[in-house]
Amino acid sequence: MPSVSSDDLRRAIQHADPRLSRFDPLSRIICFDDFDRGFCGWTQLVGNYEHSLDSMLPGYAQHSQAMLSTLPSWDFGSHGSADGSYALKIAAKAYKGAQNVSIKRLTFRKRGPIRIEFYFTFKPEANELRLSETDVRSVGFLYDLQVGDGDSDAFRIMPHLRFLNALDGQHMQKWQFKRRTTPFKSLGTENKTVTHYHLSPDDWEDIPGGSQRLCYNEIPTKVNWHYGCFDFDLATMQATGFRCNDRVFDLKGYEPIKIPAMRNLWCMLNFAFFVESDTDKRSFMYLDSVCVSGDF
Amino acid sequence: MVPESQAAVVARNETWTGQAATEPYEAGWAREAIIFVRALRSAGIAGRAHVELSPDGMNWVAEGTTFALPHDANKVTYARLTQFGNWLRIRAELPEGSSVTVVVTIHVKA
Repeated sequence: MPSVSSDDLRRAIQHADPRLSRFDPLSRIICFDDFDRGFCGWTQLVGNYEHSLDSMLPGYAQHSQAMLSTLPSWDFGSHGSADGSYALKIAAKAYKGAQNVSIKRLTFRKRGPIRIEFYFTFKPEANELRLSETDVRSVGFLYDLQVGDGDSDAFRIMPHLRFLNALDGQHMQKWQFKRRTTPFKSLGTENKTVTHYHLSPDDWEDIPGGSQRLCYNEIPTKVNWHYGCFDFDLATMQATGFRCNDRVFDLKGYEPIKIPAMRNLWCMLNFAFFVESDTDKRSFMYLDSVCVSGDF
Repeated sequence: MVPESQAAVVARNETWTGQAATEPYEAGWAREAIIFVRALRSAGIAGRAHVELSPDGMNWVAEGTTFALPHDANKVTYARLTQFGNWLRIRAELPEGSSVTVVVTIHVKA
């Protein structure tokens, strides 16, 4: 009988499992979130505050809780998700520049390679009988990471990636990153809480060769699901790969936001998805499922 | 597995005057809901909240339940709901010169 390596056996088992065979996880699955099973720990990104909610930056104050949605539309009913009824829905409000973010908060066990894979789509609110393909400004993803408390390189690292769909009505259709955040601002009076606005509209930069025309479909209520896969190495704190559907992008020029470590965030492993509106119309990002894996 | 349950803050530190409404909230998976309104601060006379349903998240119709908005800081009012379909929101009406700053939380259960 031929010998089978444990890696081959693991892959064979994953490929035979209909839930996992559409993912390419690394050796250990950190979480596999299929939103037909519920919210799976995805929650609202609430801004920092101290003593009063008035101290929260406006960029965060606009956020609200994600929903479980069947993608119901006024013209044909529920669309459903990629492999079931429900998807996680992140909804930005109906004004130009509005944003919303959903986040999952973990910590890591080992500083090594991690991979996040996700099936996603986006649409604006279908309140006009028009294609509306330039009403969603962007959808994107970010990690919020910090080294361990015993590590010598005391940094917080925030890799950002967005698909800039449209800007000021222009159809842009390209992937971008950012390496800068805003200056820190102290909140309250106890010298314990600060904030910064890493999702400010400034400082986004194009990924070289990062243009991509995604399937949007032909009316504002039909969606198609896309596959995204972002690789990051927690050892070097560098991005190592990104693909979306059939395209693989070169991340040689990619840099994450890098800021000094904060005193309460050691080994932080947060991942978040966000959506932005480009017109005074609600914008929606939908996630069918998310698989986060690592080599450890 | 235990039935799904969720607490969703749909308005936080929003100051309402005149007419206001929460953002559309989808909860078609849930059989029951309670919508809580907590006042952080207020001025003038208390207003009223009206539960609304929608076939599409864009066109709204009164569900029939109305309740007083809380008036004093940290007071809470609420409405219990079943058979609401998928979309939920509350619409608020306040008398001229009145305002209330609210946290609105929807608790939903399968």
